[in-house]
Amino acid sequence: MKLTVSHPSHIREGVTIKTIMWSKIVILLILSLTSVAVFGLGVLALLLVSVLAAVLTEAGIQKLTNQELTIQDGDAVLIGLIIALLLPPDIKLWIPVVGAFFAVALVKHAFGGLGSTLFNPAIAAWVFMNMSWGALTGSKSIPHIGEYTDLLMEFGAGRMAEVSSVVLIIGGLYLMYKKYIDWRIPLFYLSSTIIMAVILGEELSYVLTGMLFLGVFILAPDPTTSPITKNGRIIYGLLCGIMTVIYGYLTYNYVVAVLYTIFFANAVAPFIEKNTFPKPVNEVPK
Amino acid sequence: MTTEDVKKVKDKEVRKQVVIPLLQHIGTVCEPIVDKKTEVLIGQKIGEGNDEFSVPVHSSTAGHVVAIEERPHPICGSVPSVIIESNETNDTIEFKTSKNPPKEYIISALKDSGVVELNGYSLYNMLTSEKLIDTVLINLSFSGDVSSNCAPENITSIIEGMNLLIKASDAQQGAFVIQKDDRQLISAIESGLFEEADIEIFTVEQNYSPSMANLLTYEITGMQIPNTCTPLDAGVLLSSASSALAVRKAVLEGIPQITVNVTVRGAVHNPGVKNVRIGTSIKEVIDSCGGYSGEPGKIIMNGIFSGTALSTDEVPVIKSTSHIIVQSSDEVLHEIPGPCIQCARCVDVCPANILPGRIASFADMGMHDECFKLHVNSCVECGLCVYVCPSSRHILQLIKYSKTVLQQLLKYEDELGSSGCLICETPCLASTPFISNGGIL
Repeated sequence: MKLTVSHPSHIREGVTIKTIMWSKIVILLILSLTSVAVFGLGVLALLLVSVLAAVLTEAGIQKLTNQELTIQDGDAVLIGLIIALLLPPDIKLWIPVVGAFFAVALVKHAFGGLGSTLFNPAIAAWVFMNMSWGALTGSKSIPHIGEYTDLLMEFGAGRMAEVSSVVLIIGGLYLMYKKYIDWRIPLFYLSSTIIMAVILGEELSYVLTGMLFLGVFILAPDPTTSPITKNGRIIYGLLCGIMTVIYGYLTYNYVVAVLYTIFFANAVAPFIEKNTFPKPVNEVPK
Repeated sequence: MTTEDVKKVKDKEVRKQVVIPLLQHIGTVCEPIVDKKTEVLIGQKIGEGNDEFSVPVHSSTAGHVVAIEERPHPICGSVPSVIIESNETNDTIEFKTSKNPPKEYIISALKDSGVVELNGYSLYNMLTSEKLIDTVLINLSFSGDVSSNCAPENITSIIEGMNLLIKASDAQQGAFVIQKDDRQLISAIESGLFEEADIEIFTVEQNYSPSMANLLTYEITGMQIPNTCTPLDAGVLLSSASSALAVRKAVLEGIPQITVNVTVRGAVHNPGVKNVRIGTSIKEVIDSCGGYSGEPGKIIMNGIFSGTALSTDEVPVIKSTSHIIVQSSDEVLHEIPGPCIQCARCVDVCPANILPGRIASFADMGMHDECFKLHVNSCVECGLCVYVCPSSRHILQLIKYSKTVLQQLLKYEDELGSSGCLICETPCLASTPFISNGGIL
């Protein structure tokens, strides 16, 4: 009789990194498929190129440094997918390749790989691309949610992420229900955005775009780059919301506002975390 | 299982050897007071402690002592044990019964009977610690203890045990803590309590294991107890169903703690609750449950979240054993830990409100001073963080490792006095007074 001796706990909930990543990927794939209706089949080439570039970069780096291949955990696929969603569909295809390489090689692996990144790789790559080739990465159209049906399918979308808010909302609620993402960041991000926009007298139809929902449900609650403390996540969500509206109010572009805000929030997340360490229930008084 | 089967099992049990470890509590190893070949009776004292923390050990069978030697212990490696071969009789010593005993009698009865809490502390020490006790809490929210000891026929005994504890400690009130969704137990206790005015029932949401004593007291009384103190410091005597039963038996019937109720679950043919003599090997207990179904892969004592995985089934059942879980070899987890993705799922479930994953990462890098700053000593070792970790990291193991190192660095053992486990010299008692469910560590 062979008995295994191991440390507790002896059962697991069954949620793994793979489940979390791949459920996000499935939601974003549904979003991409709905965007075919708006942009045509051409977007599939962008998706494919972007994802392949990210995956191949990761595989190359892990081969070169003799690490175990971790493509199956879905992180590289997710990065490639988000990069494609953030770019206009008629973009020259070498840009997402460079962007995906930048994201995976410099933002992810140079900082220590999965779990050690300071910035969300996809957003950092977008910022890099936008800084470098601003004219090429700008979108031709800015979404405007004039009617409720625009939430379902927005034909004025300039990027794939903006096509269908409903897919992102339902997907985000599913992720929260399954506890794959934390509920605090989406809740406080969305509510503070709406409250700030109402206070500043902005039209919500320009604020509540698909990009905001992508930020609220996928980009901001990204586990690695958001604070781990409970209160920290509330502050992080509030900060994201307030900054998004300030940026959008000053530049009249709520799409770019979301991305730059989360990039900024990523940068201050360690600071928020450090100042919100919880007090243990049975702490020893000093 | 038919009654005949039960009888058969009982007969078989009696003829076997029992291995009674001389260490079943937090404290030093007892000195054996019997020699090889001594004839002993059921209930006879065979080991006595030589310091204030130790608890006497009694024979659970009638027969003669075969050997006194080191044998495997479920938690502490190997420990000097008294091996008694049964002579197939059920001769007992004369048990001193009493009705409506006074306070002094209860305390002296508890001293002689060696009643130990599930976490390895002696009830006698708790009652005589000179701390003012105003509340007696009996924790009925630990699922292992409840499934073993809260059968309907035991409810009256548990309430009697509670009354004895209140009397012995001069407490003003008593309370049972029960999990909210355990409606059956709540109504059973309620109907048993109809004439007791000073005993209440509290419901909690969580499953409070014995290691979470401070958190449980906080939840019920609202008093925050630092991790270097015990509920006793807040005037709360926290007990369990198994101890309440043992107290009643010891005081009213004069029978020392020589049997425990053990729930056997998992990959056995007839899972269920067994009344087991202390010193019976786990193998015999499982055989009495119909044996293993399939190839056993892991035997876990006291809790699937935080219990100890045993290296062999030849170890004896001890006083703090409350349940045994057998996993078949297919159920055993074989996972390689991945990197921490900082998803904070462990932070969300942590009952002590610390950052388990972060502490584990620091412990992994050997940065124990950072672990200390992040309150590693507040960890109650419930195992929930490991349960939810999507990367299957060894969070609890790393936290315990950090506690151990810190204890050595900061010389906590001086403050703890002799209450540490002296047998294996590994300072597994760390700095938390209430340790893993296994009890003596």
